[in-house]
Amino acid sequence: MYLFIIRRILQSIPVLLLVTAVTFFMVHAAPGGPFSQERNVPPEVIKRLNQRYHLDEPMWQQFFSYVGNLLKGDFGPSFKYPSHTVNDLIVAGFPATFELAFYATIFAVLIGLIAGVIASLKPNTIQDYIPMSSAMLGICLPSFVLGPLLLLVFGIWLQWLPVAGWGQIPGDKILPSITLGASYAAYIARISRGGMLEVLSQDYIRTARAKGLSTARIVFVHALRGGITPVISFLGPAIAGLLAGSFVVETIFQIPGLGRFYVQAAFNRDYTMIMGCTIFFAFLIVVFNLLSDVILVWLNPRLRQQVGGGH
Amino acid sequence: MHQEIAGIQNLEQGVSLSQDAFRRLKKNKMAMIGLLVLLFFIVIALLTPWIAPYSYEGQNLELGATSPSLKNWLGTDTLGRDQLTRVMYGSRISLAVGFIATAVALLIGVLWGATAGFLGGRVDAIMMRIVDALYALPFTIFIILLTVIFGNSLILLFMAIGAVEWLTMARIVRGQVLTIKKQEFVEAAVSMGLSPWQIISRHLIPNVLGPIIVYTTLTIPSVILLESFLSFLGLGIQPPQSSWGSLISGGVESMEEYPWLLIFPGLVLSITLFSLNFLGDGLRDALDPRASKD
Repeated sequence: MYLFIIRRILQSIPVLLLVTAVTFFMVHAAPGGPFSQERNVPPEVIKRLNQRYHLDEPMWQQFFSYVGNLLKGDFGPSFKYPSHTVNDLIVAGFPATFELAFYATIFAVLIGLIAGVIASLKPNTIQDYIPMSSAMLGICLPSFVLGPLLLLVFGIWLQWLPVAGWGQIPGDKILPSITLGASYAAYIARISRGGMLEVLSQDYIRTARAKGLSTARIVFVHALRGGITPVISFLGPAIAGLLAGSFVVETIFQIPGLGRFYVQAAFNRDYTMIMGCTIFFAFLIVVFNLLSDVILVWLNPRLRQQVGGGH
Repeated sequence: MHQEIAGIQNLEQGVSLSQDAFRRLKKNKMAMIGLLVLLFFIVIALLTPWIAPYSYEGQNLELGATSPSLKNWLGTDTLGRDQLTRVMYGSRISLAVGFIATAVALLIGVLWGATAGFLGGRVDAIMMRIVDALYALPFTIFIILLTVIFGNSLILLFMAIGAVEWLTMARIVRGQVLTIKKQEFVEAAVSMGLSPWQIISRHLIPNVLGPIIVYTTLTIPSVILLESFLSFLGLGIQPPQSSWGSLISGGVESMEEYPWLLIFPGLVLSITLFSLNFLGDGLRDALDPRASKD
């Protein structure tokens, strides 16, 4: 088990290095320097700016010093806001993004699991069709349509919930979390239904039923453990989508999170910020994939033996 | 064992299998409705330059935003442009991105997966390791990065989206190829001295067509969604061109006063995604009865 974790961590290092290298060289291959937008800048100033940001050094030297700083946890200064470092912006934006993603995940897992389990208990009946067609709706209604619609109905027409902000007015976190979580709830519902159906047809469940256990006991004690494995393997990669989805949700609801900063940085061509955020996001995704792999192995004794005994 | 028997039967009656699949698909109402809706949208999109009620750029600033009426079925936007015309032109772009980027993904994914699966051994291990590594990358973020650096051209969008959507296809095809390459007809082809490329293209790929078709149908909606997502953020299709995503983004700005500017493009996008997903599910049930047994 520990060996497995260590091996997975070691495997993540080249991935992160690859992301860093690709991002770095792509950004530096970009036509037009970062300061080309400001037109009336005297050449001496440009020269100084280039020196300040080491743009006049050879590429490989820049790359190594960048990686060196990364290892120290330093993402460098922001191009657009010279008084801020990329670290400042990440520290300022990440808590809101993390909180949003956290609530969205809770919403998605709760609603998705409940819908999936309910549907799996009586497949191909009305009890299956209603949650599954709602799930289809959730998958086909993109967040940038669902979000504005929720905003329009609950924020503007009914005036039940605030339309924008994060943590200023009570209830302003509800709509963004639902918007971000909805499609994941839908996927989780479908996946957990499939997983549960497979588990429910196994012999040990039949034994449990034959023993006269209640449906609730069978579901919660016996079936769920196996039934949610596909959900967990979905959750790791889903975090990547969740973070990307936060771009849209943060833009719609005007949440001062990392996603919104990233989109703004993309518009502003704030190169160091884009680079820093991309690498930071990649790091998060790698960490969550790792976590979901470890949990999967931990939940499944057969897998545990394989990774433990095989090497 | 059961699978093997099914496989052998498939080989003996290749034609009747597809007929059989089509018969099953026809019975699936949702899939057929999805197919018809999709064909309808595609025909409209193809004919748009000839049948659009107004010109694409035609502004009427005096008119401004109006509600849907007999003259403008879906109303007009704040510049007085006909919404129906704009949605129709938007469909052309969104659908084109959906199909072309999927084709790019299909090409890379199928060739990669089939090659890895057929050659096996160390080549397979290296090729699939690359896929695993790429899976861990934040792709939406990378596409944004690409569009920032190389500008927002349509070609780049096709390439960038296609280049990130091929991974799952490669995995599926490799898995299928691994199971069929041990069958006699492949051994026969090897012993007849066919080159690996001939075996892959003439014997392996045709036999994994079912899963390829199914997964392609399910890739198109995710590609369309990705493009709309980028265009919504203002990082995809640039004005004066518009896609569903940029129309929705424009609609959001004025949704308080003119909600139809948000609702209609959103509706068209959602209906398209619905149709493709139902069609994909239906095709899976029809082409791969084993997967849908539960």
